[in-house]
Amino acid sequence: MRSKNLFLAFVLVAVLALPMSVKAQDGGERPLIGAWDTCADPTNLSGDVKVGLAFAQSEAAAIYGVSQQQAAELAIAEINESGYLGGATLVAVTEDAGSTPETAISAFTNLVGEDVSAIIGPTLSNQAMAADPVAFGTERQDAGDPLVPVIGVSNTRTGMETDFATSYGDGGNYFRRVSLPESKVIPGTVAQVVDILGIETVGIMYSDNDQFTASAYDVFVSALEELGVDVVATETFATGDVDFTSQLTNIIAADPDAIVVSALAAEIVPLLEQARSQLGYEGPIIGGNGFNAPGIASEDKGAGTDANGVIVGGAWNVARQNEISTAFTTKYEEEYGTPADQFAVQAYTGTWVVATAIRCADSADPADVLEALAATADFETPLGTFSFDEDGLPEHEPVAQIIKDGQYLLLTEESAAEVFGN
Amino acid sequence: MGFLASVGLNDFVITLMFVNAILAMSIYLTLYGGMFSLANAGFMAIGSYVSVILTQNHDWPFLPAILAGMVAAGLIAIPIGLPVLRLRDIYLAIATIGFVEITRIVILNFDKIVDEVYTRLHMTSEPPKITNGPLGITGIPVQTKLEHLVIAVIILAYFMMRMHRSRFGRALAAIRQDENVAASQGINVVYYKNVAFVLGAMMAGLGGGFSGHLSRIIQPGSYGFGTAVDILAYSVLGGISSWYGPILGGLALTALPEVLRPLKEYTGLINGIVLLIFIAYLPGGLGDPALWRSARKSASRISNFITKGKTADAGA
Amino acid sequence: MPVSIDFPISKLKSFGVTALVLIGIGLLAYELPDILGKQVLNPEQHVTTVIWTGSVYSLFALGYALVFSILGVLNLSHSAVFMWGGYIGVMSVIRYDIPIYYTLPLAMLGGGLIGVAVDLVAFAPLRRRNAPRISQLISSLGASAVLVSLAQLEFGTSPERFPRTELKKLPYEATKAREYTVNSLGLDFRITPLQIAIIVIAFALMFLLQYLVARTRTGKAMRVVAFNQKVAGLLSISVGGIFRLTFFLAGALAGAAGVLYALAYPSLTPFTGDEMALKGLTVIVLGGLGSIRGAVLGGILVAAFEVYATAIGYSWLKDALPFVALFLILLFRPQGLLGEANVKRA
Repeated sequence: MRSKNLFLAFVLVAVLALPMSVKAQDGGERPLIGAWDTCADPTNLSGDVKVGLAFAQSEAAAIYGVSQQQAAELAIAEINESGYLGGATLVAVTEDAGSTPETAISAFTNLVGEDVSAIIGPTLSNQAMAADPVAFGTERQDAGDPLVPVIGVSNTRTGMETDFATSYGDGGNYFRRVSLPESKVIPGTVAQVVDILGIETVGIMYSDNDQFTASAYDVFVSALEELGVDVVATETFATGDVDFTSQLTNIIAADPDAIVVSALAAEIVPLLEQARSQLGYEGPIIGGNGFNAPGIASEDKGAGTDANGVIVGGAWNVARQNEISTAFTTKYEEEYGTPADQFAVQAYTGTWVVATAIRCADSADPADVLEALAATADFETPLGTFSFDEDGLPEHEPVAQIIKDGQYLLLTEESAAEVFGN
Repeated sequence: MGFLASVGLNDFVITLMFVNAILAMSIYLTLYGGMFSLANAGFMAIGSYVSVILTQNHDWPFLPAILAGMVAAGLIAIPIGLPVLRLRDIYLAIATIGFVEITRIVILNFDKIVDEVYTRLHMTSEPPKITNGPLGITGIPVQTKLEHLVIAVIILAYFMMRMHRSRFGRALAAIRQDENVAASQGINVVYYKNVAFVLGAMMAGLGGGFSGHLSRIIQPGSYGFGTAVDILAYSVLGGISSWYGPILGGLALTALPEVLRPLKEYTGLINGIVLLIFIAYLPGGLGDPALWRSARKSASRISNFITKGKTADAGA
Repeated sequence: MPVSIDFPISKLKSFGVTALVLIGIGLLAYELPDILGKQVLNPEQHVTTVIWTGSVYSLFALGYALVFSILGVLNLSHSAVFMWGGYIGVMSVIRYDIPIYYTLPLAMLGGGLIGVAVDLVAFAPLRRRNAPRISQLISSLGASAVLVSLAQLEFGTSPERFPRTELKKLPYEATKAREYTVNSLGLDFRITPLQIAIIVIAFALMFLLQYLVARTRTGKAMRVVAFNQKVAGLLSISVGGIFRLTFFLAGALAGAAGVLYALAYPSLTPFTGDEMALKGLTVIVLGGLGSIRGAVLGGILVAAFEVYATAIGYSWLKDALPFVALFLILLFRPQGLLGEANVKRA
């Protein structure tokens, strides 16, 4: 079974990799991504168009920020090589946004001082809540300075759009994100799981001192409530913990049909091994976004077979690639020597979305860029077909997958039966 | 300003530098009395949450809310200080770290605690969300202005300066030298230690209130062990031999990582190395009067050199 | 400076107090779930977790305690040395295919050397000019920041682990849990042979250190240095040598704890030490600053508090409980459960 899957995957990758790129007319390679035909080649743009990159390059969030920075740089190189902005060059102004709200504010303050057309970042949602208003908040509005669009590529906190709109009025419109908020991913995944596996009770575990996991927990709870699933046990842990046996002991003793886990990447592998190998739990484990980190199911770096039966919803996963994303991940791995993860793919997408807005606006003026950005619709990206909906929220189809022997399979009746042996 | 901005010190960072200068002074007061207390991160958290909850949920104006946060921190310091200040040295440090962590965890779980109380008391109304757990309180309008901070720093610096020569300051200095001797000279050791502790807590609460209205979001994670030792580092590196040492330390140590920011992933490394060099080669800290005397000497030597011409070398 | 390495009969009283306190805590712990209307499910598994996590905490805290007992300073870079120990173990397997058995001695050697380097860079210059302990504490923080940054630059920030494939090669299917049933009460718990091995190694190292300090000439010299450096000089004991040895031993223990931690938990990052730094402080204060036995007891106690909070259904309080205990112990028995009453001078 396993070798057959491997073979299929190989064939699939080979087929998808074939039309990697087509020759652009002007001689440069034209990437698969880009609104080449929907928007005409820009004529007004010239010189340097500056875009700010504010990802975490130091401290804890650098786990995500480094790959975001690399992916954004790769996108910018592609954009310039292919002449996507006509006569203009897209120039990245990079500021290390660190891992705290304060360092992000400082990075944003520097970036708006550089007159960038848009800012991509920051890495963490709480940094975004603190720093994004530097670009469009009250102070900037009062000073009469031009507001600058901010594009989040990894902010998944629910309700950021409404929060910003409440606090900063129309300025709040300047916040856009390509990363799906949890409210757009989790309910669908949970509904699918409940439908396929017939789950009636769950135990929940989440990290309660982290804004990302706690926000996902809230969404899980309301999604489960809506579906009439009973929560029979709730246990918390702290980010950075590695021993979850006592929490798992409680949950397993409550005998739920499935365990829901909202945790960050670093906690997941020990948690899975403790649940499976040590405590012998064999039921489904439904994971939040953290489970999309690369290598969770790898036999060497991850939890290997202990990850079997993990079900995860996400914006993107290596299991569901389109040809644009295959082209990107191949190039990324060639360039940096590590496989691209969801953060890289989202940052790459975000950079292309911004560049497309600049191209379609045919202007580097932040207000024009925002207008074009908001109009982004049916844009083909590595994440799938991407649009902003009428509320300004990102829209593309999330995926629910189930892990089996290191592979991510689309969650279906068959794949679930295969994993849990009916 | 142009020069500062060119090395990476934008307006926000400069404001933050002054907030940290206040925090550095807050711990200086206890260190001056020989008390190795790290509790100020906890009082900072209290000042921050109290003032923000007042401005956000109860529509208080900014300054009264800040002062209320300061008073709240001071009030909580009294029952903490009375038992804890009996400890000395490293024991006091660890007990106060315990206080900081407990404060952080209580704030983190405050809504859950309220919820638990409601269920235990069989209250029917929906428990309120106050601290909002790990998500923190967001959308706080920026009300802290550099002017506020400069005024606060000047007032506090004046207080510190006067303190040295006051009865209070002399009593603290005597306590630092030797508690038993101080007590035998009729100094009320318990009283002075607690007053210093409470005043320090109020200053930390003030700093917390300012910082809470600066970064638009407050969250429990910002006030843990790491913050506690950061505050200590401001004061120790600034030097505790003069009243302006902590101010310099707070300003310099906040500016340092910002200046180093272009180094990206090397920031932490260089920051640590600079810390090690400072502490090894500037025993009295940045504010060491001896250091400044020698600096003035070499400065005058240089200016002599320049004004008197190249022939007059070892003049001074 | 409190050095309670010996355990003469005169300390029976303190031992009795400790026993009473522990019994009191135990009784309270037993009754509390009933009072709160909570039920503890599968207590035997929780007890297993306590012993298991406690042994790692204790081993980690031992190095802290050792340096404190001999030098009277808190070495906050201990947690960074611990993290490096973990990386030395994991990376020697991943990068150089070294068998897992050799990683423990390798990490101990590496940790020891890093410990000595920390002493040279962060402590020795300050000691020479008799700097206050606060300065030494800050200096050790600087060393810690440097070590963490170096690890971040060298190993990146995504979690590393001993490869599963390598762990599976260990004999007795060491990573596979066995279910044990205690007598006919139906009490059962699951544990892996690897976990048992970790517990055994941790306690063996603790015993070895206790032996070294209490029964050997070197240990005697260390105790003299701790008691009074001038006296040590008169007895022609090389004070500097003893300091370096202390840092080497503490580093080696941190290195060993790092490898055992990495074997136990498949998630090592440059920030792994940060979590332990604070836990280690709690451990040595609960047990008694500078006491080796105290560190062992403290480790088990901290683990017990954490697991207990979870077991009775308050996992969100699990990080607060050890600090509450620490706070109380400092107020009522500042020398810790097994420490010597000499706090005023410390």
